[in-house]
Amino acid sequence: MVLPDASGDVLSEMDVDSFRRLFPLRFFETHLVKSTRPDGRSLAEARETSSALGAVASADGSALVKIGSTRMLAAIKMEVMTPSKESPDEGCIAIDFHMPPICSPTVRPGRPAEAAPVVSKQLSDTILSCGMINLKELSLISGKAAWMAYLDIYCLDADGALFDAALLSAVAAFSHLQIPVVSMNDDGKVVVLSGDHGGKEPVNKGKRKLTLSSIPFSLTCLLHKNYILADPTAEEESVMETLVTVVLDSSGQLVSLYKPGGPVLAYTSAIQDCVALTRQRARELQMILDEVTSGMEVD
Amino acid sequence: MAGKGGATPSTYSPSPTTQKTKSLSFGNDEVLRPDDREWHQCRPAFFQIGVVAAAAGSAYADFGSTKVIVSVFGPRESKKAVMYSDIGRLNCTVSYTNFATPVRGQGSDHKEFSSMLHKALEGAIILETFPKTTVDVFALVLESGGSDLPVVISCASLALADAGIMMYDLVTSVSVSCLGKNLVLDPTLEEESHQDGSLILTCMPSRDEVTQLTITGEWSTPKINEGMKICTDACSKFSQIMKSCLKGFDSALEEEDSNVD
Repeated sequence: MVLPDASGDVLSEMDVDSFRRLFPLRFFETHLVKSTRPDGRSLAEARETSSALGAVASADGSALVKIGSTRMLAAIKMEVMTPSKESPDEGCIAIDFHMPPICSPTVRPGRPAEAAPVVSKQLSDTILSCGMINLKELSLISGKAAWMAYLDIYCLDADGALFDAALLSAVAAFSHLQIPVVSMNDDGKVVVLSGDHGGKEPVNKGKRKLTLSSIPFSLTCLLHKNYILADPTAEEESVMETLVTVVLDSSGQLVSLYKPGGPVLAYTSAIQDCVALTRQRARELQMILDEVTSGMEVD
Repeated sequence: MAGKGGATPSTYSPSPTTQKTKSLSFGNDEVLRPDDREWHQCRPAFFQIGVVAAAAGSAYADFGSTKVIVSVFGPRESKKAVMYSDIGRLNCTVSYTNFATPVRGQGSDHKEFSSMLHKALEGAIILETFPKTTVDVFALVLESGGSDLPVVISCASLALADAGIMMYDLVTSVSVSCLGKNLVLDPTLEEESHQDGSLILTCMPSRDEVTQLTITGEWSTPKINEGMKICTDACSKFSQIMKSCLKGFDSALEEEDSNVD
């Protein structure tokens, strides 16, 4: 369905690729009226998602997540810190999201991508506020030593829905996390115990895994006119600019809702539709996560 | 190990950083290497191209626990206001992830490796084929397990080939460490920390040309000759693996094309 206008003559003799580059919005709209998208998905359909645990051997917990061609590598390194006076029996989590220049042609070295600090902040807010991790579990010796979990997420390939992929990789990395067995040495430093324990009593016996309660799952939707497109690609995000990111926890409660402006002013009903789509997506993601973590226990 | 920023409390890694005790075992002839390799044996190498969809060309290389991704962008306009040039420009950056090294780092750009990578590649690329423009080569070391620079160089040349940048030949690189009286090929991080000297040879195997040779530490002339011989042999083997990786992808492409037609 091509709308008649001045460029109509040019359009008739143009091949699809040129049309896509020159009139990206019209290209997408011709698909949208047929309730489909250029990659063959329906509007509410998310891209194929997969996850693999333990991709980084030098980290204490790691995960690689793919959503379409968006790829995220998350890894956790555990270090020891002295807890603050206000919360002597709590550990800490530091979350950092990186977009190295390898992930996208728009990122150049020395000039960090604008999106990176935004996603980084969103991730910290979501993970720390949803109550997935009890910081008390990261305590080693009250008032003296606690774990600092450094979570670094690297975007290896950026093709839209970066926050969704980053959050899933963060959750998967925490589910893979194996806390090292440590003991206090004579200098008051916490050190890793090797095989024979060296006659020392470990300080964190039986506390090698974190209990993850209420896991957050997210879905980014793109609003354009009356259409809602789930899990947009980078191209879709660049053409149609209004994004809504909904985060729900495993019991279906709303953790966060993020709509950073954009040309489309959404009705409440559109937001409700986004939440409904996220609820459906959260079930899918829960299944994917269960599958990879159950595979881990068999090993 | 200072924490970054003002608010973050300072932390330290609980794992021991240096293990000098094991160094004794290396000088001995009967002892094998920590990973049961022969002295002149490489770690199992794996290459894959086309791993980053957003890039013009990309490659992933995996040598034991050394894991590297390289993306190539361009030829595209030069970003900086640079002088007119009849030939193309090559721009290389190597960086590490924060979790690449045993002790968590700050993941900044590795200036020395960036310039070494540039020098290793520029002789092999036909810069005349993309005048006035720049080709960007970005490498990210996901995990550092020793011999990082040689792996980055080999992987980068594969990514350049994937991007369709004209080269005289694939560039392959390999390093040898001198440990006592032994020469060990493709050393791991542990072996590198005990080495007396290191030799990195980068070459174009089909043309028998060396683009870069770096020798550091204590070497005798016969040792250098022996080391270079070992490296050139290993490089030609690597180029076979890399070529088959490129061909494998090409044949897959042809199949796709024929299906579409």
